[in-house]
Amino acid sequence: MKSAIATSVIALIAATGVNAQDLPQAENDWFAAGQARLQEELAKSVNTDRALNVILMISDGNGVGTNYASRVFAGQEEGGFGDEYVQPHEAFPNLALVKTYNVNAQTPDSAGTGTAMMAGIKTKAGIIGVNENVVRGDCSTLPGNTVTSINEIMTEMGKETGIVSTARITHATPASAYAKTVDRNFEASVPEGCDTQKDIATQLIDAMEAGVIDVAMGGCMRNFHADDGGRREDGVNLIERAEGLGAHFAMDQASFEAAPLDGTPILGLFENSHMMYEADRADEPSLAEMTGAAIAALQAKAGDNGFFLQVEAGRVDHANHAGNLARVVRDQKAFADAVAMADEMTDDADTLIVVTADHEHALAFNGYCGRGSNILGLCMGIDGAGVAHTGEAELASDGKPFTVAGYLNGAGSVLIEQPDGSYFGTRPNLTEEEATDIDYPQQALVPKSSETHSGEDVAVYAKGPWAHLLDGTIEQNVIFHVMHHAATVE
Amino acid sequence: MNRRTLLASGLALAVLPLAGGSAHAQDAAKIRDLYSGGVNLSDWALAQVGERVTFEGYMAPPLKANSNFFVLTALPMSVCPFCETEAEWPNNIVAVYSKRVIDVMPFNRKIEVRGRLETGSYRDPDTGFLSLVRIEDATYG
Repeated sequence: MKSAIATSVIALIAATGVNAQDLPQAENDWFAAGQARLQEELAKSVNTDRALNVILMISDGNGVGTNYASRVFAGQEEGGFGDEYVQPHEAFPNLALVKTYNVNAQTPDSAGTGTAMMAGIKTKAGIIGVNENVVRGDCSTLPGNTVTSINEIMTEMGKETGIVSTARITHATPASAYAKTVDRNFEASVPEGCDTQKDIATQLIDAMEAGVIDVAMGGCMRNFHADDGGRREDGVNLIERAEGLGAHFAMDQASFEAAPLDGTPILGLFENSHMMYEADRADEPSLAEMTGAAIAALQAKAGDNGFFLQVEAGRVDHANHAGNLARVVRDQKAFADAVAMADEMTDDADTLIVVTADHEHALAFNGYCGRGSNILGLCMGIDGAGVAHTGEAELASDGKPFTVAGYLNGAGSVLIEQPDGSYFGTRPNLTEEEATDIDYPQQALVPKSSETHSGEDVAVYAKGPWAHLLDGTIEQNVIFHVMHHAATVE
Repeated sequence: MNRRTLLASGLALAVLPLAGGSAHAQDAAKIRDLYSGGVNLSDWALAQVGERVTFEGYMAPPLKANSNFFVLTALPMSVCPFCETEAEWPNNIVAVYSKRVIDVMPFNRKIEVRGRLETGSYRDPDTGFLSLVRIEDATYG
């Protein structure tokens, strides 16, 4: 009977409602912030106008876990606990989770994921701009199996397009804007006898000549020439070819800053391979600077026709592969700065900005850590009497401290190869100073030369026309379809 | 040498100091302590030329068997730059010439190398590896 009465009271409250401001916790700051967010959600509206411009920003390897580490790092750099920090894309009004697998790979690679986002179809790992009928590395399987990228579609619509990356501009993600290749590694040459496609670098300059790509900035000079240090086996100097097409060529900070932003095509090739990590960057532009220049140049040339731009933070992925979280979060901060730059230079009313990652990594997080534990450092204890951590490192069952973040596999493995070929090891003891060093590789379990991607979901954040279509849990190729719809809807 | 030529030459040495700290006499130096920006040697490095200095890092898989030469890396690197076409050789490395033929160490075991710091362009006759900074007459472990 007592239970029945209690149930009736609850039912009555539910039926009549209780004003949130009448609750005893109404004066709590968290409660007030929750109410404020509720009002923001209630005030949301959708934009169903056609998108003049579309910007796709991909942080390579920045899955939900990596993004979390970067958020905390950025917040701690500003003196906070870190958790409360909001990265620019995290303030976007629309969000979905993205399933990233390739058709033949539970754990995806950037070639298959790039094709999904840029052409609207999932395909195999390691191939770009082609469907799953292609056999990786077999040039004879390419004819009849190529797909059209969103850059090509936007060009047909009269828009200008560009690509910006801190990785090699011939690397998988930027290449998905312009290349059709049976192997992502055909960056500067194709195997003997392969007569169905050109190498990726040549395809980029072909795309610039065709007017498909107007701005291309990233790493990798070596794939474009055959001089000392160059990798072109055909002896062709693609840089001179681009300059002959009227493109401004940039290779360092000065020549980048000298680039005319009046619609002149721009080819920026910084470094011999990938651009530097943000932590080491010298005499080359930041991702935000390149993003700003690309938008300005595309806007100048496109005018009222609009543009499409793909921006990639390519080295978040590489630092993850190295197990070096200290460089991961710094490159992700540079990506966040680029997102802010793109947002600042465009109008939400006519520009769809989509921010996502192509895949996650084998990054994971330990507990239980107190507030303010350095995301790169040791897991400190929770203070039951306060908010900030205790300053005392938590200890594992082996009596040693451990870091907040670690990798499931990679070069930081605690298992070391022994002279007899077996693997054995114990966790090294670790200080906060060692763990937060810029060159520290996080401890890992499975010994591998290079840490791997993972198949875990990534997030996609969006604002602008039709951004609300990115919702729920989606397949990665849906991103293309939302961008395409936004730019073509009548 | 302009920037394009420099990049094309594949010189594997450029690294920037990040925290601005230089090595303490009693601690092993870090490879980044060698540089003050781009490929410019730091004041600390210039002061140590000809002196025996201890660096910490990792032994990259040797480029050649039965050699007294290896590359010390700031981060574990399992790939040999001249063995794998897809390998990306980092710029935060330094050449080491040991006193004796080296015993190969796991690429991800941190080691300390002590030797005489030398500068100047030198191309290894066996591997073709070009270095501008070296640790010579070195011991390690």
